[in-house]
Amino acid sequence: MTRNLLVLFVLSVSLLGRATADDAKIKVVTTIPDLADMTRNIGGDLVEVKSLATGVEDIHAVPMKPSFAVLLNRADLVVLVGLEAEHAFLPGLLEAAKNPRILRDAPGYIDTSVYVTPLEVPNRIDRALGDIHPMGNPHINLDPVLGKQMARAIADGLSRNYPEHAATFQQNLDVYLAKLDEAIARWEKEAAPLKGKKLVSYHPDMIYFADRFGMEAVGTIEVRPGIDPTPGHVAELEDMMRRNKVDIVVRELHYPAGLAESVAQATGAKLVELPAMAGGVPQATDYISFIDYNVHTMLQAVQGGA
Amino acid sequence: MGSTVSPRRLVAAVLAIGVVLAPGAPGVVGQTTDELQRELKAMKAQLDELQQKMKKQEELINKLSKQKPATPAAVAAPAATPGTAPATAEEQEVEKRVTENVMEKLQPSLAAANKTFPAQFNPAIGLVIDTVASYQEHGGGNFEFRSGEIGISANVDPYVRGYAIFNGTNDGVEVEEAAIVTTSLPYNLTLQGGRFFADFGRLSKFHDHDLPFVNRPEVLDQYVGGESQADGVQLNYLAPLDQYVTITAGAYNKMGADNEQVSNEVPRALNRFTYLFHPATFIALNDSNSIDVGANLAWTPKVDTYTTGDGLEAGDGRARYLTDFDITYRYIPLSQASYRGVTWGTEVLFNSEDWNVGPEAEPAFQRQTAWGLYSYIEPKLTRVFYPGFMFNYNQAISRTAGGTTTYSPYLTIWASEFQRIRAQYTYFSAPQDHQSQFFLQWTVILGSHVHGFRER
Repeated sequence: MTRNLLVLFVLSVSLLGRATADDAKIKVVTTIPDLADMTRNIGGDLVEVKSLATGVEDIHAVPMKPSFAVLLNRADLVVLVGLEAEHAFLPGLLEAAKNPRILRDAPGYIDTSVYVTPLEVPNRIDRALGDIHPMGNPHINLDPVLGKQMARAIADGLSRNYPEHAATFQQNLDVYLAKLDEAIARWEKEAAPLKGKKLVSYHPDMIYFADRFGMEAVGTIEVRPGIDPTPGHVAELEDMMRRNKVDIVVRELHYPAGLAESVAQATGAKLVELPAMAGGVPQATDYISFIDYNVHTMLQAVQGGA
Repeated sequence: MGSTVSPRRLVAAVLAIGVVLAPGAPGVVGQTTDELQRELKAMKAQLDELQQKMKKQEELINKLSKQKPATPAAVAAPAATPGTAPATAEEQEVEKRVTENVMEKLQPSLAAANKTFPAQFNPAIGLVIDTVASYQEHGGGNFEFRSGEIGISANVDPYVRGYAIFNGTNDGVEVEEAAIVTTSLPYNLTLQGGRFFADFGRLSKFHDHDLPFVNRPEVLDQYVGGESQADGVQLNYLAPLDQYVTITAGAYNKMGADNEQVSNEVPRALNRFTYLFHPATFIALNDSNSIDVGANLAWTPKVDTYTTGDGLEAGDGRARYLTDFDITYRYIPLSQASYRGVTWGTEVLFNSEDWNVGPEAEPAFQRQTAWGLYSYIEPKLTRVFYPGFMFNYNQAISRTAGGTTTYSPYLTIWASEFQRIRAQYTYFSAPQDHQSQFFLQWTVILGSHVHGFRER
């Protein structure tokens, strides 16, 4: 018995020792790859970043895997989109992770929506409106200008927790924002043909993208956010699309293909299939290439290349 | 220069205040602290933006003024680009004054928006209504109001949170759970105390309305006593490993909402409590396929003799061992998690306890070991339709009668995340009772609803 206890003790000490050796870098867990990319750019060599989602998921339906609880348990910081985008998995995982440093309102809980003025803030909180987000539409990562504000929130969050590295984070942020600014200027120029084009998406997650590039999001295939389409709704939507001469139907890649295709066919709109976050398609390896992919895919459709 | 600029700045400042204080600005009533903080941040951002715009306009005015040939300063001034012109001390002073002026006007509104009221600290409240229409071949039909369950929860302080579930049924109102849970214990520990569902097995800790099928499997009803409700304390530990491993240890008066072995109100010796040990792990086969495995032992060192509802006697001051092994396989394709997937769950239980097998006049207690299992599979066809099939077999816990077998195909229709309709057929087979049963369940959730890790 004593020998078994001794073995158990040695095993425990060796495990703890290994954990200590890995502690050199700031361990950051992000909810989506977009934030992981931003954090890597801002944190540089000081951070070790892991993302819970791979990019192909619906941000409202990321599976709550126990292995994520292990990642979060060891994290120094958690970086999230905010505006309750991660309500389906993050609160439960944080509860299971047993890590007080990253609980909501703890310093290690970095909400990247804090500098963003959200769109579609409901003036009535009612489930008859579907699975709405009381603080506003949370799909802010689809607008690169808001991406700058998200990056700023990450830099501020890192500096708040590690003030000794604040200058490095600020410097890296400036470099990253300059890269983003350059890309934004290019996108705004390239996206001129998108101005005034009308789109319908499966879920109301294209509003920030549309707003940035002068497009108009006029409806969704879902009856309400999170409520599956009914035949009656689809018929009304198609009628509205014909009357309003809607140009584009966007299928976010985590939604079913068939219905979006048939709506596009029935109304003569172009079908565009887009990821909702970095990593959603092989070309979208980071945040900039993700926006790049979305802008160019949309342009191809509008200009007849798709 | 200051005399020509200040009025414009003041007009801009007044406009800024007008914009911020416009009737469209969100009101205070009914907002949470988070929303108010967000609103303040948004107002601050708007103010910053306005200040930037004002600065740019000012620079433009300066630039245009300097382009006039009659103005010597224009000749001397460099061709500054907007946004890069260095501000003079005078300009900075003017800007500071404008900012102060704006803030002075804004401050009353900001203070008003910051007001709090006691109700803001009220806990989150949710209500679940669960109703069933049933028809049993031998028992007839019934509209069964199954439960109206009110759940409330909130953080108590930085160290613990509390929650309670009050369940109203045809039998009255019961405190189903009311517990305190720590949130910041060191060493990956969580301590829970009060009345709660003990961390035993998998579906024992689900509330009835959270089950994947209409009725709790017979084996759980007979062996655990329905939900694993327990008054006591339990400690959960997340091992500091790359592999997800948790261990729960608990001590309870008893376990099982319908467990008749002992009253919660009677004090007892330490060897009359029920002790739980439950290690569990998770194996990710790949991104989409995973397995949860758990082993459970609920041990009561000495069970005083008690009589069940069926008139059987058990206990005799000897130990009871209830063992459970659970395994859950999940296929969840990441890109279609809401639309596709399969869950297969199985629990096998063993009960070892002394039962009176003698005649009434001459009690003769004998150790009886019984076992049972349930297994179900539930493919997800769309976001709305979840068909499934559940099989249950269990020996009678006292071994004084034959076993019970059920076959239950079912279909769950999720109208939304908060409304569910379920149709189920069950073929029920027990000694002297073989019958078909039909169920139609309608469940809705109102108000606060969280996606808990326990119910995943």
